[in-house]
Amino acid sequence: MRIGKGVTRRGRVLLLGMILALAAARLPADEVVGTLDAVGSDTLAGLMLRWGERLAERHPGVRLQLQASGSASAPAALTAGTTLLGPMSRPMSAAEREAFVARHGYPPVELEIARDALAVIVHRHNPLETLSRRELDAIFSESRRCGAERPIERWSQLGVTLPGDRIVLHGRNVASGTHDLFRLRALCGGSYRVRLNEHPGSAAVVAAVAAEPSAIGFAGLNHLTAGVKALRRRDAGGEAAAPTPAAVRDGSYSLSRSLYLYVHLPPGGTLPAPERAFLELVFSPAGQAVVEAQGFVTLAPARLAEQRAWLAALPTAE
Amino acid sequence: MTDPRQLRRRRLRDRLATLLITAGGVGVVVSVLAIGVFLAWEVVPLFLGEGALAPAELWQPQPVEGYAEPQHRWRPEPLVAGDAVHYGMAPLAWGTLKAALWALLFAVPLALGAAIHSALYMPRRLRARLKPTLELMEALPGVVIGFVAGLVLAPWVERHLAGALALVVTLPLGAVAAGGLRALLPAFLRARLSPGWAGLWLAPWLLLVGSLTLWLAPALEAGLPGGDLRGWLEATWGLDVASRNALIVGLAMGFAVIPGIYALAEDALSGVPASLGEGALALGATRWQTLWRVVLPAAGPGIFSAVMIGAGRAVGETMIVLMASGNTALMSLSPLEGLRSLSATIAIELPEAAVGATHYRLLFLAALLLFAFTFLVNTLAEVVRTRLRRRYRRLEGSA
Repeated sequence: MRIGKGVTRRGRVLLLGMILALAAARLPADEVVGTLDAVGSDTLAGLMLRWGERLAERHPGVRLQLQASGSASAPAALTAGTTLLGPMSRPMSAAEREAFVARHGYPPVELEIARDALAVIVHRHNPLETLSRRELDAIFSESRRCGAERPIERWSQLGVTLPGDRIVLHGRNVASGTHDLFRLRALCGGSYRVRLNEHPGSAAVVAAVAAEPSAIGFAGLNHLTAGVKALRRRDAGGEAAAPTPAAVRDGSYSLSRSLYLYVHLPPGGTLPAPERAFLELVFSPAGQAVVEAQGFVTLAPARLAEQRAWLAALPTAE
Repeated sequence: MTDPRQLRRRRLRDRLATLLITAGGVGVVVSVLAIGVFLAWEVVPLFLGEGALAPAELWQPQPVEGYAEPQHRWRPEPLVAGDAVHYGMAPLAWGTLKAALWALLFAVPLALGAAIHSALYMPRRLRARLKPTLELMEALPGVVIGFVAGLVLAPWVERHLAGALALVVTLPLGAVAAGGLRALLPAFLRARLSPGWAGLWLAPWLLLVGSLTLWLAPALEAGLPGGDLRGWLEATWGLDVASRNALIVGLAMGFAVIPGIYALAEDALSGVPASLGEGALALGATRWQTLWRVVLPAAGPGIFSAVMIGAGRAVGETMIVLMASGNTALMSLSPLEGLRSLSATIAIELPEAAVGATHYRLLFLAALLLFAFTFLVNTLAEVVRTRLRRRYRRLEGSA
């Protein structure tokens, strides 16, 4: 009896050992396992989720948990230490950066992950093709800081004949990166007209403009549909810039911006394996293909190579 | 015979149940109060200490760049440090009230009419079907109603403005005309078209009136000076027509408010003791006289509280206003211009407002205002309803 019992126990240990050995054999030594969190921009939500899916294809043990409640939530979560990755559709403000430094003693790492642009859109049947900076400001703002003399409230002032002559304005809401960028670059920092219809998303702006022949609006480039037409911007020399990928990439189309990913990384420190795998994916050709598929514009090759080199130089976690 | 131990156990169980129920009730009351206290706690720092806001900054027009006269502006976030910010909340509060007003203007006649009709005229069989259907209407989420209103109804009204405005006039007139025409019909036909089944024969009639209106509207519009309704409204009345306007919001929110008002008003009307109506009819009053002089006054407080509850819902409603209105913070009464409500502002801006900043606290002030308003309206409605119940009991006791 006693011997038999001993054998069974030994047998069990053996079995356990075999299972472990088998499991170890199935997992390659460098397999990445874990959950990675990201908190931040809702503009970037679609892009982050697609990257998360690609990452899960590469490393089946990794899952991305994304909380996309707005760019302002990223610095707060990074400072509080609840996440290591904070996607933002605007650069961190000085106050946000200071709060992070005050808590941790070093700044967060800023990575540029894609380029984005705002398009000024009209209904697809609108004959208008280009707008100058002053005209755009005179249409959307009540301050006219860009130098226009008179406000533009009617299509006839632009030489366009439409059934509804009064210009109807659509745009994003207060407290969105899109709203702020347009205000800064198109209105010269001035203030919007009160009559601007404020929508809670770029898709809603596009839908509203597509349904209204006398409307004009601004929205993220990646939300455009066949129902609307993007206008080109005419500069002082009469040259018109269209929001093409090349113009967005080098910034010659002025309504463009960079999209960022902030990483909580102490100087000389290492990144956990899931986060590192995620960043490797982001800067890989496959990751940049996702950027394009999502309607954003990929980074300039030089910038991409620079950030890839930074990532490769990071010490690996043991 | 009863075992004293069993008795004791039962008593203990009773006491425990009473305790739990009381705790639940007290818990609910306390948490409602806690919400109010929490909101007030977040708001108080606005008006205290350094950089305190003057109430005039919130409620009175302020000087604005580019304007000679002071204006109401809601511009709570500076773009760069040193930018002018404006905390005018008056347009937001105004937008909330305006949306609720237009919603009630649309919903109250319809809901009360439906309640009176179904409580007093409708055959029981039909009524049993109608009530659940209307309750189903209440189950529709606000997002869906707002989506349909913003992306389907608003563009349609935009394209058929003349027709839509004409419908607002012709449909109620058509319904009244139907009653008049019915009285002129020969007796045998009139008996076929009983008032109880009005829903069945009125619907095709209204459909006819509606299509006729839409068919004739372009011709009518062409008859205006200039041949364009929009231009004519602007030239003669100074009215600006926005595609996302208070009329659309009122229509959509009215749709959401109707079931609530209907249910409460119907309860109040069918709760009027039958002896009252029967007595009036027996004394020779007509149906209309019975309704107008006897039943409605008896149910008056109940109907009032139904409307109050509807108002409370309309003021607090968020998604419908957010999606159907253009969120333009204007101060105008015109039903053809846009609006921005307190609740929609909170929903849009709170996720992006920096915690503890003035903007953040102002959004809490907006929440506090909404809370106080709905609290007052609901309490008022409840008090009136309790009084009504007491009155019924007295009437039934004396009958």
